[in-house]
Amino acid sequence: MNTRDLVLIALFAAIVVVLGLIPPITLGFIPVPITAQSMGVMLAGCIIGAKRGALAFLLFVLLVAIGLPVLSGGRGGLAVFAGPSGGFILGWAVAAFVTGLIAERFVHQGNSEARQFVGFFLASVIGGIVVLYAIGVPWLSAVTGTPLTAAATGALVFIPGDLLKAAIATLAARAVYAGYPLLPARA
Amino acid sequence: MLTSLYVEGQSWFHRVPVRLKLIALLVLSVGLFTTNAPLLLLPAFLLCGALYLSLGMTARQAFSRVGFVLFTILILAAVNLFLVPFPDVAALVLRLTALVLFAAAVTATTTIGAFMDETTILLKPAERLGLLRAADVSLALGLVLRFVPDIFARYQAISEAHRARGLPIRPLTIIGPLIILTLKDADTIAAAIDARGFRRQ
Repeated sequence: MNTRDLVLIALFAAIVVVLGLIPPITLGFIPVPITAQSMGVMLAGCIIGAKRGALAFLLFVLLVAIGLPVLSGGRGGLAVFAGPSGGFILGWAVAAFVTGLIAERFVHQGNSEARQFVGFFLASVIGGIVVLYAIGVPWLSAVTGTPLTAAATGALVFIPGDLLKAAIATLAARAVYAGYPLLPARA
Repeated sequence: MLTSLYVEGQSWFHRVPVRLKLIALLVLSVGLFTTNAPLLLLPAFLLCGALYLSLGMTARQAFSRVGFVLFTILILAAVNLFLVPFPDVAALVLRLTALVLFAAAVTATTTIGAFMDETTILLKPAERLGLLRAADVSLALGLVLRFVPDIFARYQAISEAHRARGLPIRPLTIIGPLIILTLKDADTIAAAIDARGFRRQ
């Protein structure tokens, strides 16, 4: 890994911290606030690729673990991992990795714009939603004793918001890809 | 902006070595899941609560740090009441709350420096395998802390530019430029790091 990759990883982790400082948007039709931070997983995979994206999130998780309040709402510390949603936070790095793998496979410079949009959206949905929930929901169920089916049903509430995040991440990732492509030069 | 969750203090828990605290947390998190007996879980909860409150924080401070996680636990417990027998729900609330309070106590009594020393030791095996370098992790961590305020300032500059043009401030129109402008710095910073020979390559 060269110094540039190291810096890209650190800068992306810093971007995720900043996204957590941005005030959350509350939508009228669902009671869940949309923070820009959980979109970071999709953005990391789609913009700096699988390996660097996953490392950016490992670095971010390390920041949380050593007690910096870098999660949205000023949360942080080991208590977050001990709580019910610890699996989601630990799953971020894996989710970013899968998002990156799919984006690297499906999105190429010569593709039409529409195909690039589709590629980034698929990567965001599969990595940032499917993989993340596949780790977070069983974890939550194991820790709290809530039956898996009930936990999974409960998680459905967040899906509309996540799809919206995937759409925003797709547009942003494609804008960065057009303006300053980093994905092709993978680490 | 990024102040650590460490709390200055002189309590006995402040003086316990980090490694011991982390091992205790690990043992506790495995141990508490092996039992459902209220006779074990209730004292564990009370001890962890007492420990957390003895660290020299005001009640309000103490609550605001763990309030969010406790809130999630209570919501899940409310759901569980309909699905799981009551003694199990009580056991899960006690167990998780005890664990969260202990973890919060470790965070509150350990400085970032102490955590970093421990991280470096934990990374040693990976370093020996040639997977990464512990010094790189510290460097990356330092870079993040150094650049968060800069990136936040950049976010504000972009939203001000939006306002000046009468545009609504939407995440979509801000994230693109924010990311491009930030990542464009990577080359300059990397060149500066290499020029000073920080990574000894």
